[in-house]
Order: sequence, then structure tokens, then C-alpha cells
Amino acid sequence: MTIESSSSSSTLEPLIYNVKLSSVGPGEMTRPDTIHEPTSIDLAMKLHYLKGVYYFKSHEAFASITIVQIKEAMFRWLCQFYVICGRFRRFSEDSGRPYLKCNDCGARLMEAECAKTIEEWLELLSDDDSLEKKLIFGQPIGPQIEYSPNVYLQCGGISLGLSWAHVLGDVHLASFFINTWGKIMAGHKPGSPPVLAQYTKEETPPGQKRTLNEPLSIKWVDPVGDQWVPSLTTKMESFSFHISATQLGRLQSKVSGSKKSDPVPPFESLCAIIWQCVAKFKTGTESNVVTIVKHDSCKKNKKFDNENQVISIVKTKCSVVESDIEELATLVMKGDIHEHEKLKNWVESEKGALDVIVYGVNLTFVSFEQAAFYELELKGQNPVHASYWVDGIGDGGAVFVLPTSKDDGKGRFVTITLPEKELIKVKHELKENVLQASE
Amino acid sequence: MSHSSNSVKLKYLKLGYQNIVNNILYILLIPIMAPVTLQIFRTGHNDIINEISHFLGHLNLLPLLTFSFLIIFFFALYFMSKPCSVYLVDYACYKPPVDLKVPFSGFMKHSKIILKDDPKAVEFQMRILERSGLGEETSLPPALRLIPPNPTLEASRLEAELVIFSALDSLFRNTGLEPRDIDILIVNCSLFSPIPSLSAMIENKYKVRSDIRSFNLSGMGCSAGLISIDLARDLLQSHPNSNAVVISTEIITPNYYQGKERAMLLPNCLFRMGGAAILLSNKRRDRARAKYRLGHVVRTHLGGDDKAYRCVYEEQDPQGKTGISLSKDLMAIAAGALKSNITTLGPLVLPASEQLHFLFSLLGRKIFNLKWKPYIPDFKQAFKHFCIHAGGRAVIDELEKNLQLSAEHVEASRMTLHRFGNTSSSSIWYELSYIEAKGRMKKGDRVWQIAFGSGFKCNSAVWICNAAVKPKANGAWNDCIERYPVHIPEIVKL
Repeated sequence: MTIESSSSSSTLEPLIYNVKLSSVGPGEMTRPDTIHEPTSIDLAMKLHYLKGVYYFKSHEAFASITIVQIKEAMFRWLCQFYVICGRFRRFSEDSGRPYLKCNDCGARLMEAECAKTIEEWLELLSDDDSLEKKLIFGQPIGPQIEYSPNVYLQCGGISLGLSWAHVLGDVHLASFFINTWGKIMAGHKPGSPPVLAQYTKEETPPGQKRTLNEPLSIKWVDPVGDQWVPSLTTKMESFSFHISATQLGRLQSKVSGSKKSDPVPPFESLCAIIWQCVAKFKTGTESNVVTIVKHDSCKKNKKFDNENQVISIVKTKCSVVESDIEELATLVMKGDIHEHEKLKNWVESEKGALDVIVYGVNLTFVSFEQAAFYELELKGQNPVHASYWVDGIGDGGAVFVLPTSKDDGKGRFVTITLPEKELIKVKHELKENVLQASE
Repeated sequence: MSHSSNSVKLKYLKLGYQNIVNNILYILLIPIMAPVTLQIFRTGHNDIINEISHFLGHLNLLPLLTFSFLIIFFFALYFMSKPCSVYLVDYACYKPPVDLKVPFSGFMKHSKIILKDDPKAVEFQMRILERSGLGEETSLPPALRLIPPNPTLEASRLEAELVIFSALDSLFRNTGLEPRDIDILIVNCSLFSPIPSLSAMIENKYKVRSDIRSFNLSGMGCSAGLISIDLARDLLQSHPNSNAVVISTEIITPNYYQGKERAMLLPNCLFRMGGAAILLSNKRRDRARAKYRLGHVVRTHLGGDDKAYRCVYEEQDPQGKTGISLSKDLMAIAAGALKSNITTLGPLVLPASEQLHFLFSLLGRKIFNLKWKPYIPDFKQAFKHFCIHAGGRAVIDELEKNLQLSAEHVEASRMTLHRFGNTSSSSIWYELSYIEAKGRMKKGDRVWQIAFGSGFKCNSAVWICNAAVKPKANGAWNDCIERYPVHIPEIVKL
């Protein structure tokens, strides 16, 4: 459970070693025949997986943590979250609507050791984003949906990796889930479980289906059957960077232009800037539509669903590259069309048996700003860094905007995932013209 | 209508017969005592006193004294040579923590990953589990919960320490026994036998006296618990004023079979973590507080028969993986071993009425060649409670049928199998603990513990409840006893 630093960073030595795989489940038996039914929005998200990594700086308090303590806390923790320990089944034999049987199968837990210290690792990451994926062990749901775990946790040294099936809930639920573990490690008792979703079929009048247009925020993929992984041909790469509070301030004032008294919020500013940057390297009218995913802060209920996510579409008729950055920002702030109802109706018209993706259909901007990543506490320590992204993204790409712990939380951490060829150009463009100019 | 009235008449007849034969001595005493009492009443009490003093006056002093001395001497000899009673002061069963629980779905998922090249073996394991009678709360040790399992020597020692020390700490707490006061220590664990032994491990941890008499029994199978009790009894009878601590457990980490042979995959599905620590004593001061007194221990061994010897056999499969192979004749051999055991046990415990009935039946069939069915004595008359080793559902079903027991008699065994799985030699202690937790144990109740094991052996122990037992606050069943008994379906749909 300790991080060892190696003096030679030879590539021959594995970075992650001593890997042990086991399962953790709820400490108390769940009542038999308990089931959870995902909502329509949840099913639209089923091909996506949230991945997150928390990094804790080395501290003497961590020396006393043993894997036995962690596992024991996890069993208590999972009494509250027994839903994630279940397995998916279908209502009827062939392609019926999936539901989750809460049979206490468990979540897979992987323990491993790392050859680098946290500082060395974070340095390596700034050059090579893909390394972060090593800290997460996650297999998608499939090939038999009855037996696939929904959540993977990895404790290596003092990094905690999470692979979370998006069908269970959004990033705020995942974050709440992990933060609760921190509280239980500190000795708190588990709370009462979040309410299970129940699918209530709404009667749609017979004529309604014909009038439904396919929402712009989803795209059909090849049928996946019971292996819930989208078959995507484009190779996607990621690139992450910090934006300090000062840099962010400058970007905001650039985007706000004349309206300095009422500046554009950070997320929308970044959306506008990055949209314009990416549009330079995309051909055709693909770049005229973007998807925005935000959190509805009015809804406080912690249910196992994605209903708190707000998915909207922003369309523009003119060329993005030639548009004024102020106009783009205004469009993002005020011109978004909510897709929630449309999405829900569409999924219901397909009886829940559809294989679609949401992230990456168009360039998708995802705000994780309100997620409480840094509220996680382990032995009184908060993480120095937390990184989250979504897997299974379409070739439209995605941009994730996360909070940081630096600058009193006023900075941002941005991860951009795009097709490989586009990313190189966008990275260069951002580094040269956007980030440099704002210093 | 007449059939039911006939059966009622038969019942009363049987009851009458039993009462007469069991109390025959008292009944015979009546024709002897009646005339004497009558005579006493006829003659006045003064005359009686005169007659007695007249009689005594004629006796000489010396023969009288010699005679009295001889009587006292023979009585004393009789009492001294009678082996001293062995008492069970208390015992403690190991309760696994929640993070070692293995629900069916978790077990099957691990199995699917580990045996991914052999779906037929996985299918076989699932069918076994569905019909096994195990519940969702049985436990496996940490090393066997990894994917793939990692049964190292170190992991086995870890499991041994976890189970044995936990059970012993409970026992010391319950009885107030100090480790340095242990005179005899017996450990039985069939499959894990490291050097130094498990008994040495205990001696090291608890810093016992250097003149402790310790024994480590390995390789003796699931019935080794009662073999340890037998050994403890023999030692206590030759060492007055001593106590003995017996640890019965099975360390299953090294036992995990990593191959694909079906006959050898069975133990993986059924064996679970468990252990018990028992304190026996022959000290006078423990008599009052002891829970039980040991009646009889009967050991039967069928090793002389080749089929019985090979029916539970440890061997290597064609790929070289070691496991325990169970033969298809297991149930038949178990039935034979049981028959042999109760033939010896019967005369020791059965009331006279049953023994006489059995004798008549035997005479009728063998000597007069009458076509009667062999009479199986009714052991329910000898015992109030039964603790049948929870070796598997089939074993319990077989004994329930053969001994004509009711569902309540085998409830302790079935529920132990459900809650804890097959914990090998300690399962009879979990069963006894269940009966106590249910508040069914009353003073004077007789308990029959019966265990089968490789070899093939059938061992029995008879305990008599010494004082009413109150349910324990920290017993193995204390957090789940209200949920029991549960109905266990024939097949659980996974």
C-alpha cells in the first residue's frame, strides 16, 4: 500500500505492479428480488463510462492505512450503495428493457503498487495523458450483462481510481459515492440508501411517435447486444491542462468584450473559445452544433439516475470560425435548447431498447464544475488533484471542465478528447494562441 | 375411521409397553415391598424396635464391624475406580467478519472469470450451489476471494490465526480462563499442517506453560472434532484436576482446487470458514458452572473396507492439480457407517423398551426366520437434540430418513449449513450453538453429536445438559437468530 519511488525510470520496469483483483460487496444482505429500473435518460447513457482518479499527496497519516481497513470500510459503505453491486438483466429474453437486479454480486476492487511518487506521476501525466488510464481498471458491461460489475475501484498507493457505468448516474452521484467512502473510512455510519428509480411507463398517444424528431444530442451506433461498448472506429486522444485564475480572468474578459460589467461565466467562456479553436480544424458543418452537459443545481435529490443532468444543444447558422467570440459566448449562455424531454420521449418510443451515444455526437462540453471532488477526505487529507472524464466518446469529441484545488478553486482543469489528428492541431493552437496570449 | 382409531390404540399400547419396560425395576419392587410394608403396619412400632434390638443383641461385635468395614471398602473402591466425569464448561464458535461474506452471485462471477476456459465446469458449480442448501452469508478467507485465488502458505497461516485466535479470545472471555492455566491443548485441522504446528502457534501467541500437554491432529477429516473430544476425555481421566482446550477447525485456504475435474470441484462450492474452541474440565469447581457433561463417545471406523477407504480421497488430477475427490458411493457408505455406529451406541443410550423391542425383532428375523422389517430403534426417545454434521444437504436428508427424525430435529443442522456452509469439524458446535440461541436447551436434555469423515469414519458423542443454558450475548448466531429458521428451497434460482 505504499508508493515506492524508483531511482531509474526505465521503461522496462512496469509502472504499475503487484496487482491483486478481488470483489467487495454490501456488508448486509440485500432483500431478495430488489430491482432498480434505469430511467430513459439513463439508458441513453448506457454506452458511456465515467472514469475518475483522485491523487493524495504522501502523508504520514496514510502509513497506518491497511487494505484490510479499506475493504472493511467498503463493505459498510456498500450497504448504502447496494445498487451498484447488482447486475443487469433484461425483462424478457430478447432485447427487452434492461433492469438492475440487486443481487449483491459486488464491485471489483483492484489493489496495485506504483513505481513513481505522486509528484513524479503528475509530471509524467503532463506529457502523456494516456498514463492516467493505467490507474483505473475497468471493464465495460458485457459480454453477458448478468455478470458485469458496474463499478471498479483501484487503490494503488494513494491514488483512488473509479470506473463508473454512466447508466447508474451522473458525475455528481459518482462523486457523492466516493465522498461517502471517505466519511466511512473516518468512522461515520453509512446513511440510508438513495431511492431506487422506478420506471413508470407513460402512455404516449398513438400519433405522437410519427411527430418525434430524433434529438440532435444522440446518435445511433451499431447494435451492441449485451456488450455495452460502442464500436467506434476513430482513435481518440486526450490532452489536459490547468488554467490558473489569472488566465481564466483574462479569457473571460476577452470573451465578454464590451460587457465587462457582466462577464461571461468561466465555463461558457471556455466553451466559446475552445469551440472556435476546434472549428478551425473540423470540416463541413459538423462544427455548427455542440452539446452542452451541465448539472441542474436546483435538484438536490441523490437518486440513482441521470435526471439531474441538463443536456442541451447550441446551434449556429453562421460559420463558427468567422463568428465573433462575444456572439458565440452569448449563444452558449442563452441560446441553448434543452433536450431532456425530447431525449426521454425518443427513448420511450424505442421501448428502451436502443443503442445510442450522447457524448461526442457533436463536440460536447461537459461541466463538472459543481462536483464536490475536493470534498473527499482521507485521514483528514483532501486530494491534491482529481481527474474525471468519460469513455466511449464519439468522434465529435468532448471537453471536460473540472474544478481545481489550486487558486482557492478559482482555476479550472480542462481535458479535451478529440480524434488523434485533430487533437494535435488543437493542442498546438491552444498553446500558441490562446493560453500564451492570456498570460 | 377405524384405521385412525387402530393407530391411536396402537400408540397407547406402545406407550404403555414403554413405560412398563423402562420402569421394570420399580414395578418389580412393588410385590417385594408390599408384604413388608403390610407386615410393618400390622405389628406395632414398639414390637419392631424390640425385634430389631433382639436381633442386634445376638450379633457379635467383631463380625459386625468387619462386615461394615468391607461394605464401606467396596463402596469406596467402586467410587474411586469410576472414571471421573468430564464436563464441558463452555465453547465459542468463530464468527467471520462481514467483509469475508460470499453471496452466490459473487461466487459465480469469480468462478466464471477463473474458469473462463471451461464453461461446463462453471455450469456444474452453479448447479451444485443452487441445490447445496447454503445461504448468502457463508464466508471464504481473504486469499480465496482474489481473482485468481492465491493460496500461499502465508495466507493459510493468516486464516489460521484469524479463526483460531478469534475463537480462543471469545472462549477466554466467556469462561475467565487464563492461558497459563491450560493443562491440555488439542488442535484438529485436517488439511493444513505447517511446521511448527498449529498448537505450537497457539502456545506461542498465548504464552502458555512449558509443561502443557499439546496434540495436533491432522488428516483425520470432518469427524476429527469428536476424535479430539475422545482424546481429551482419555487424558482428563488419567490426569485428575485438569482442564483441556480443544480447537476444531478447517483451514480452507490451501484446500482450494484449481483444476477442472468435477468430482474435485465440489468441495470448493461447499467448504467455508469456521472454527470452534471448547473448554473441558474434570475439576470439582467447574462442575456447577459447566454447560454439559460428557456421556459417551463412540467411534466407528470402516477403513478396512476398500470402497469406504477411497470414498473421500485426496489426489492429483491429470493436470497435476491437487484436490479432494468424492466418490458417488458416499451416501451409501455413510449409511453403513451410521448403522455400525448406532449398533454400538444403541445399548448405551436407548431405554430398555427400545432395546427389548430391537432384541425381539432381531430374534424373530434371525432365529425364527420371520419376515419382519429390521427394526430401527427410535433414538428420539434417547435424545432431545441432534447435531448432525452439516456435511451437505444429502447427508442431513439421509440421516433424517434413516433415523426417522422430524424437521425440527434436523433444523439446527440445516440452518448451520445455510448460515455458515460446511465448516467441517466445527459444524457440530455451530449447531449446538443454534439450539442454545433458540432457547431450546433445558437441564437434563441429552444431545447427540454425530459426524462423518474421510477414512471412512462415523463418530458420536453424547452430552447431557448440566444446567439450563441462556442464549449468549456474543454468540455466533446472535445477530441473525431471529431470521431463522428459514425455508430453504430445493433449488435456489441464481
